[in-house]
Amino acid sequence: MPARERLIALKERFGPAIQRADLPDDGRLHVFVEPASLKAVCRHVFQDLGARYVTTIAADDRPYSGRFLVVHDFAFDADRLLTSIATLLPADCPRVDSIYEDVPAAGWAEREMRDLVGIEPVGHRYLKRLVLPDGWPDDVHPLRKDVPWNFAPADFDETREFTFGDPPEGCTVVPFGPFHPTLDEPAHFRLYVEGEWVRGCEYRGFMVHRGIEKLAESVMTYNEIPLLAERICGICGCVHSVAYVQAVESAAALRPPARAEYIRTIMLEVERLQSHLLWVGLACHIVGFDTLFMQSFRIREPVMRVAEEITGNRKTYALCVVGGVRWEIGPEMKAKLLGVLAALEAEWRAVADAVGGDRNIRKRMLGIGVADRALVKSAALVGPVARAAGVDIDCRRDHPYAAYGRVDFKVVTADGGDTWSRLSVRMREVIESIRIIRQCLADMKEGPLLLAVPDELPAGRWGLSSVEAPRGESHHFVITGESNRPRRWRVRAPTYQNLQAVPAMIKDQQLADMTISLGSIDPCFSCTDRLETIELKSGEIRVWSQDELLRLARKRPPETPR
Amino acid sequence: MNPGLIWMIAGALLNIACVLVLAPLFQGVQRKITAQIQSRQGPPIRQPYFDLLKLLGKEDIESGESPAMQRFAVHLAFASALVLACLVPMGLAAPLGAAGDAILLIYILTLGGVCTLLAGLAAGSTYSLVGTSREMMIMIALEPLFVIAILVGAIHAHSLRLDAVLCGSVYGVPGVPWSGLVMLAVMLLSFPAFVQRVPFDIAEAETELMEGPLVEYSGPKLALFKYAQMARLVIHSALFVALFLPWGSGLGFPLGWLCFWAKSAVLVLFVTWVAATHARYRIDQAIRYFACLLAAAIVALVLAGYGH
Repeated sequence: MPARERLIALKERFGPAIQRADLPDDGRLHVFVEPASLKAVCRHVFQDLGARYVTTIAADDRPYSGRFLVVHDFAFDADRLLTSIATLLPADCPRVDSIYEDVPAAGWAEREMRDLVGIEPVGHRYLKRLVLPDGWPDDVHPLRKDVPWNFAPADFDETREFTFGDPPEGCTVVPFGPFHPTLDEPAHFRLYVEGEWVRGCEYRGFMVHRGIEKLAESVMTYNEIPLLAERICGICGCVHSVAYVQAVESAAALRPPARAEYIRTIMLEVERLQSHLLWVGLACHIVGFDTLFMQSFRIREPVMRVAEEITGNRKTYALCVVGGVRWEIGPEMKAKLLGVLAALEAEWRAVADAVGGDRNIRKRMLGIGVADRALVKSAALVGPVARAAGVDIDCRRDHPYAAYGRVDFKVVTADGGDTWSRLSVRMREVIESIRIIRQCLADMKEGPLLLAVPDELPAGRWGLSSVEAPRGESHHFVITGESNRPRRWRVRAPTYQNLQAVPAMIKDQQLADMTISLGSIDPCFSCTDRLETIELKSGEIRVWSQDELLRLARKRPPETPR
Repeated sequence: MNPGLIWMIAGALLNIACVLVLAPLFQGVQRKITAQIQSRQGPPIRQPYFDLLKLLGKEDIESGESPAMQRFAVHLAFASALVLACLVPMGLAAPLGAAGDAILLIYILTLGGVCTLLAGLAAGSTYSLVGTSREMMIMIALEPLFVIAILVGAIHAHSLRLDAVLCGSVYGVPGVPWSGLVMLAVMLLSFPAFVQRVPFDIAEAETELMEGPLVEYSGPKLALFKYAQMARLVIHSALFVALFLPWGSGLGFPLGWLCFWAKSAVLVLFVTWVAATHARYRIDQAIRYFACLLAAAIVALVLAGYGH
């Protein structure tokens, strides 16, 4: 059903509750509703119409409209339609009905909205902090426009701690993370374990939240942000940079030249290749099969090298600018890339055969970390996790961008919903990626790489972009603004949705399967913020605060006599 | 002084020296071959010696819940490995072969696993406790296999004396030695578990339990524990050769001696190959696997009882 018909149906059902709507093109629909009916509209869209929940965007719109803005994004994948259900809240009473009850996938996004913009989701049943550190003062919301980007609260309370729930009866607590050999990103899972069986868990993450959105909205410019965006992820950075520029381009109604779109597609697929190869290697390492881990990395290396030759960097490609790309793929590079792909395909088929026939790996992954169709729907899971459960979604086909509408590829699915199916989906996606790159290289015509953008970008326009990252849909939402930077830029990485389902995936399975179930988490870095010393003689425990440590580190050593 | 005693002491020292010198070498060979299988260059073969030296030179940190128990566990593990070295023939007759019987051997072998349990309990962290419970389950499932192997030998040899059992006695029946052959298969299939290597390194499982029972060990104590584990590989290989692969040992020094170590090296290669081509089993999968082997072993025991 196209956007217009959707809008008419919604208007018929909800009447005057639909205040106004905007249809920038066939694939986008923005609907403004009354705050009081937001919950009902979202329930109808999610439950009756079967839309997939994407994310929630909250913004401080007070300098422009005098109100707060809340937007719930949904996707009608079969109709190629991205829909925003928006509402404006009065500046003096930033409260809105929570949709968590009807849309369980919105759990985190609403908590984030409460933390960062200070909009209270009324009726949310798990209102603990998500993003802000525990010691952050309650009344400061960093994404509000009156909070400076470099604000450091004077009343930061070092002693405040996250309150976890009580473990179920008969269970012991096994802390998993923030530091664990298979958890490269600091995140804490408090596992409730009965013998070897995990009965439940509670999550506390966001320990290295970097405030990237705030930085972009306050001090960076449109064309600087792609460089920041690709640093969001350590593996699939190009995805974020493409998603951001596409959102801006869609807001400003710009269309980059065809050759730029092909080059974006090629680099996105190169990135998918290296990411999937990395994942297969790590998954094997987690189950103790180091030989395949090493072989995966050996096979992956030429992909990294060719990416470096094209862009000057193995990982952060610095590819995108608004309206085009920076790097050209000339005939010589094309031949080189084709050579790498040929070698990769042959070797990868051998690996896939070896893994597919390995009873040992199969035993460790079959039926482990199951996310079935119901969980995929309720938690709005994306990417290989959804496809492994037989849910046939892929933004490359459903919301075509760059050159994906012009190439032929298969969306790989499986139906087990377990780790084994995910492995199989990812392994076969590698072959599809190789096919896509080959088609792009063959079809690409000579032409400019960059669109001339003579005028300033118009302010106050909305742009949405969903890009299929190796881990699933990466969704970016941009509201264009003044002074050459967006007013609001919201990023939702695929792991944001997928991680929310981990507690359900690991429940009632063995502790040994925890790591492989969690296996698809992206690597990241962290820094220590405090440490403990114990006075052995008195047994007294002293916790050093960050401040004290800094002072201690800066203190000059006593003068040594000459 | 009694010349027999001197020979006994000299033999014991020789065996201990062999184990201590060869254990890191075997480890080095393992690493090198694993690297070859994984398309890597790998560390030099002598690297494990340096690793041990480096660890031994580090500060001895006492962490974990009961440091005294941890010290005790590691020393016991190392000492039991050394005692075993004197009880097992390594190309020559076992130096202390007359000092005990097969039952003693079984006890001391089990002591190695008990030390791991003690270490895990002493560390007191959740991960070490999970590792300990896994180690305990593995021990309960695994030790009977070894006991039956010894028993089959003892039944055929009509003796529990070490020198009578540890000379390929499992084949000591007229006709086809069915019980011995079944036990050979069983012990070969469970061998990586006895030396705690992939796919049976479940109790330590670096990517799940962060080395489990060893999580609180560092410096010299870790060096000793690692050394004891390396020694375990040598000793178990020697035991396996003595029980199941006696051929060529009768050739006398030095040919028989060389032949013995060559056979041990082949076993080490086998363990390496299995470790490099398998994923780790989950504890329940491993126990099921051991249970099947145990069933086969019991059949072998019954066969042995009937003289086959």
